[in-house]
Amino acid sequence: MAETLSASTSTPVPHVEEVGLTSAPLKSAAFFIGAYCKEYNEDFVLCKNESRDPAHCLKEGRKVTRCAIDLITKMRENCGKQFDAHWECLERKNHEYYLCRKPERTLNSCMFDKLGLTKTIPGSPPGQTPIHEVTNPIYKAVQK
Amino acid sequence: MPVPWEALIPFGLLTAMFGAAGTLANVSMRAQNQGKPPRYSVDNWDAMMMSRDKELTGHKRGQLATPVAPATFASSIKL
Repeated sequence: MAETLSASTSTPVPHVEEVGLTSAPLKSAAFFIGAYCKEYNEDFVLCKNESRDPAHCLKEGRKVTRCAIDLITKMRENCGKQFDAHWECLERKNHEYYLCRKPERTLNSCMFDKLGLTKTIPGSPPGQTPIHEVTNPIYKAVQK
Repeated sequence: MPVPWEALIPFGLLTAMFGAAGTLANVSMRAQNQGKPPRYSVDNWDAMMMSRDKELTGHKRGQLATPVAPATFASSIKL
């Protein structure tokens, strides 16, 4: 721990604010953070593959944080109402995406119209409708 | 044949008691979760996120949607 601390202080890394979102808003924004910050996130993971030393990827990590804050600010400016509706639904429904498809769809369409970002689920089977766009899914809320 | 109305007394008692027990349990659960339904199937990731929520808001169910965390949060993260 002492070596990593001294390593991080010897090479100055610019200061960064922490992301202030809690779990539900983060989960609601997750796919858009993934779409918007793809390059920074991939950079960070590639850097981590290079070396697991905590001091090695501080710069890349800060870029990831800064990008997330940037997206969240834009999201709240453009789709604030839809964003709030979706994360408040998630918070009531045990953070399950499948129980909150209605507010999710309004958020997704707003994010596409205003910021041009789409939700894509990585690793979902190609050629099939992704689960968040299925109109009559098998697994849905028992109570309406 | 007349209806044995005495049988309705324990029936009413049972209904009232089950109702009271359920209502009290529900009120107690929601009081511990800031009026929201409780979380279930909490895995390690959820528990970690809830402890992060607690550091940000002071309660494990508290939610906040400000992009930037208060300055005290950066130094309160436990490593």
